[in-house]
Amino acid sequence: MHLTVTVGDMKTGAAGDHIVTHALGSCLGLVVYDPVLKIGGLLHAMLPLSSINPEKAQANPAMFVDTGVPLLFRTLYEQGALKSRLQVKAAGCGAPMGRNEVFKIGERNYTVLKKLLWKNNILLAAEDVGGNHSRTLHFDLETGEVVVAGNGGRRPL
Amino acid sequence: MRLDEILRSVDTLPAMGGAALQVLALIEDSRASASQIEAALRQDPGITGNLLRLANSAYFGIPARIGSVRQAVSLLGLRRVTQMVVAACAAAVLQRPVEGYDLPAGELWRHSLAVSVAAEGLVGEIGIGAGEEIFTAALLHDVGKVVLGRFVREELARIEAALARGLTFEQAETAALGVDHASVGAELLSRWAIPADIVFAVRWHHDPDRAPASHPMLDVVHVANVLCRMIGIGLGREGLQTEPSISVSRRLGVGTGHLERVASRTLQWANDLAQALAA
Repeated sequence: MHLTVTVGDMKTGAAGDHIVTHALGSCLGLVVYDPVLKIGGLLHAMLPLSSINPEKAQANPAMFVDTGVPLLFRTLYEQGALKSRLQVKAAGCGAPMGRNEVFKIGERNYTVLKKLLWKNNILLAAEDVGGNHSRTLHFDLETGEVVVAGNGGRRPL
Repeated sequence: MRLDEILRSVDTLPAMGGAALQVLALIEDSRASASQIEAALRQDPGITGNLLRLANSAYFGIPARIGSVRQAVSLLGLRRVTQMVVAACAAAVLQRPVEGYDLPAGELWRHSLAVSVAAEGLVGEIGIGAGEEIFTAALLHDVGKVVLGRFVREELARIEAALARGLTFEQAETAALGVDHASVGAELLSRWAIPADIVFAVRWHHDPDRAPASHPMLDVVHVANVLCRMIGIGLGREGLQTEPSISVSRRLGVGTGHLERVASRTLQWANDLAQALAA
């Protein structure tokens, strides 16, 4: 099945599924895959911390990194995924040009992700973060292959 | 440079409907009434239908079902209704796919609505006055892309070369075409008899530091536009190749927390409004 993840959304699937998310700017795109069960999920989180809008986080935890990332891992564990096997890849977290500190939401998204992963002893297998171009992520649940498209090219992550 | 050709093509774009122009004239008229708006809209049932669909979207928060222009005016006020008439008219232009910028059908419209909602959100969040027509200024800020898109596509190689030198996308437009989408949009709107402060905000929305004067409406549209692109609404080919002004964020006193709170609310409102007019 072909699944599309919108901003502030998360979807999981299994072999045969293809998950895509478009227009990653400052948002975090996170892919988690268990290669033995061939199950995985993709999160497109907009903002770092749910404390900025707890009501929204309640209704839609995938909008925030600190609620969306645990939700993605929990959902996969419930389906039998094992932490020791998980391949975790991150993309996005871009920023506009210049030195305006106020607009560093992408960097904050990345920092919160790294803290969460570090606390849980999880390493990123690959990342394509920062910069100022838009990214699209393609995730093939049969092979676990992730492709980043953007800036006029496509490359495996 | 293709400036002449581009400016000539501004003239070939269909103007906003007669109803919109009549209603816009009423914005400035303090004695305007619901019945005058109704009369102006009577000639255009399509616009009336769109106006009522927008008025009933969750963003405006009216629990009752609004069934007539008169009812919309009494529940939302004359100013809100005139803004929605402009939106209903602009939708026809902004919902089209925009070549060059790689914006599929509906995406520029969704971006425009998102910037309107984010701009009003920022005004409330920071607690500043930015002019009552901020919604319309934000809604129309990118209208120049509709005209410039074809030229951007034709000159893409020169634009890409300019981007590779580290220019912002709008600077690259000027380098390749002699004009950017903000100037083209302002030119278009001044021909549609849009109020001057709105045209001013559109003209300088990417370059507030070079504007002949500072204006809170311009500052807020500038920030709201960058914010909506960051959260992925209307990114297209440009991505985040734009530079938010440091003097503007200082002038507004806006911080990352303000931006994040506004962002957390913007997406849903923008989608609600965009869906109200979706075919």
